[in-house]
Amino acid sequence: MDSTFALLMQGFAVAGAPENLMIALIGCFLGTIVGLLPGLGPINGVAILLPIAFAMKLPPESALILLCAVYAGCEYGGRISAILLNVPGDAGAVMTTLDGYPMAKKGLAGPALSMSAMASFCGALVATLGIVLFAPLLAEWAIAFGPAEYFVLMVLALCCLGGLVGDSLPKAAIACLVGLLLSTVGIDSNSGVYRYTFDMLHLQDGIPFIVIVIGLFAVSEVMLMLQQAHAGTEPMAITGRLMFSLKEFMLAKWTMLRCSLAGFFIGVLPGAGATIASAMCYASERRMAGKDHQFGEGDVRGVAAPEAANNASANGSLVPMLTLGVPGSGTTAVMMGALTLYNITPGPTLFQDQPVIVWGLIASLFIANVMLLALNIPLIRVFVKFLSIPNWLLVPGVAAISMVGVYAVHGNTFDLVLGTLIGGAGYLLRVMNFPIAPFILGFVLGDMMEQNLRRALSISDGEIGVLFHSPIAIGLWIAAAAMLIGPRVLRFIESRRQRPATA
Amino acid sequence: MSERILGGVLLFVSIAGIWIARGFEAPFSYEPVGPRAFPILILALLGISAIALMLGSQSHNTVWAPPAVLKRIGALFLIVLIYAFLFDKLGFILATALMVIPVARFFGGGWKQAVAGGIGLGVGLFILFDRLLDVALPTGLWLNNLLG
Repeated sequence: MDSTFALLMQGFAVAGAPENLMIALIGCFLGTIVGLLPGLGPINGVAILLPIAFAMKLPPESALILLCAVYAGCEYGGRISAILLNVPGDAGAVMTTLDGYPMAKKGLAGPALSMSAMASFCGALVATLGIVLFAPLLAEWAIAFGPAEYFVLMVLALCCLGGLVGDSLPKAAIACLVGLLLSTVGIDSNSGVYRYTFDMLHLQDGIPFIVIVIGLFAVSEVMLMLQQAHAGTEPMAITGRLMFSLKEFMLAKWTMLRCSLAGFFIGVLPGAGATIASAMCYASERRMAGKDHQFGEGDVRGVAAPEAANNASANGSLVPMLTLGVPGSGTTAVMMGALTLYNITPGPTLFQDQPVIVWGLIASLFIANVMLLALNIPLIRVFVKFLSIPNWLLVPGVAAISMVGVYAVHGNTFDLVLGTLIGGAGYLLRVMNFPIAPFILGFVLGDMMEQNLRRALSISDGEIGVLFHSPIAIGLWIAAAAMLIGPRVLRFIESRRQRPATA
Repeated sequence: MSERILGGVLLFVSIAGIWIARGFEAPFSYEPVGPRAFPILILALLGISAIALMLGSQSHNTVWAPPAVLKRIGALFLIVLIYAFLFDKLGFILATALMVIPVARFFGGGWKQAVAGGIGLGVGLFILFDRLLDVALPTGLWLNNLLG
């Protein structure tokens, strides 16, 4: 505990350097804007800024601070459009529309916004404390993992994500397998064999991570935005008081705390992300509120619950990425890709090998959230102005900035064209309801999975049984199977139970 | 129907991929599992999933956007593709301006807005990235000549 505190202080020294403070502030500001724009969420924000941070030659800890600030900012921003436009800025904010928009219609937009900012802060703070307490423990435990356990752990992560998102098992499986397959393109590092390069020079080092990310989260996003282009609705005006009252705060304080804790633990589990956390917390708070509530019609607890939960889970999902090197969500997979760009391999040894980076990142989360609270309550009117950026300026801007990022890193036309083609394919797959998170996770984990599998089999001299040898591995296999099949069985039982009632 | 077609394509990919993977042989090897096993494993699973996709329930079939919208999306894709091709040949400012104008039109901007947006974004982003943030962008031959 003592050493944790010392390390955290060391982290604050890194994150508190003037340059990094500035970067965090810029990241918070940009993140909030990206978050509030309908159609763009944390994954798009992180994806678009990642190559630019890399091209600006920011040192790794600064780049990570920027990305984390953007990530945290997006979670704050999503609620602004949810409350004022009834359109969630990102998927995690869907639940916030339920009570946020009714509050805005009642002329309580100000309190709704400040209450949700407070809840966001509470969620993020609880979750960051959770990271400080639990991440080092988890990392210590995971150090005992051998390559076989690692391989199975990654299988588990893919199963979790594949099992929870989307309805169709084949589609989830295909998404993650195609991701894994694309990760094998390029020279095999063990043997020097060229795999699926089709004699193209540019593919020798594999498909660059940035190209995939920009294709999927910028190019295909822009195409989806054209498909979903809806008539611009006017945001509700903020009239009257800006701050929530003490009475409202007292009403929501336990809600915030409960949802923050629940959100953190949901976030730590791979696969379950901010969307699930906010939906679950909203539903349970509504049930716990008893008869005397206005949920659905503009209850402050109805904005506090989902916002606390979604921020807590967004921060919580950093835990498996930092400690195990196995991200549990699409956004953290992109962030892990960012680490690998800097030749930093996340995993249990990260806490020992790179304490500056890890603790700097954790400290920057504290700092970023204080900044975000400070930005989001008094400056809320400034952010609201960004809601009126017209799509005709925003969309081509996004396209241009993402190309800048790809070009800046590799400087060749091939990558730009490849990214666009991947974006086109990504659009088709997304319209066909293929989940995108398992794909990106598969691509990020592919190489490590193969390496660990080969290492495990080298140790056992090719005997497959090694994968099922240790109790940890067996437990992970069982968990993987349960994650893959469990949700579907539950849904099946549910539908069986409901059918006689409706017939 | 879209699911069946895609399933067929993926099944073909998996078979072709396994065919290609047979040739992945390490010249010398000191490990029991070579470069071939993992891709073949993945491709085999992909093939099985593709068959499951083709045979599975077609009740949640894809609903595509109406043809008029699809045409616009296709056009948008082509514009971005051309933009990617011309990015360093025309230089950032010109290529961006040319990309922004039609895309802005697609998203409901007027002609004046589109042209102003194109020039504004091209010049503005160039100054922001190339001059202020030190992210080198292509100037294009024409501007190089102009600047001497």
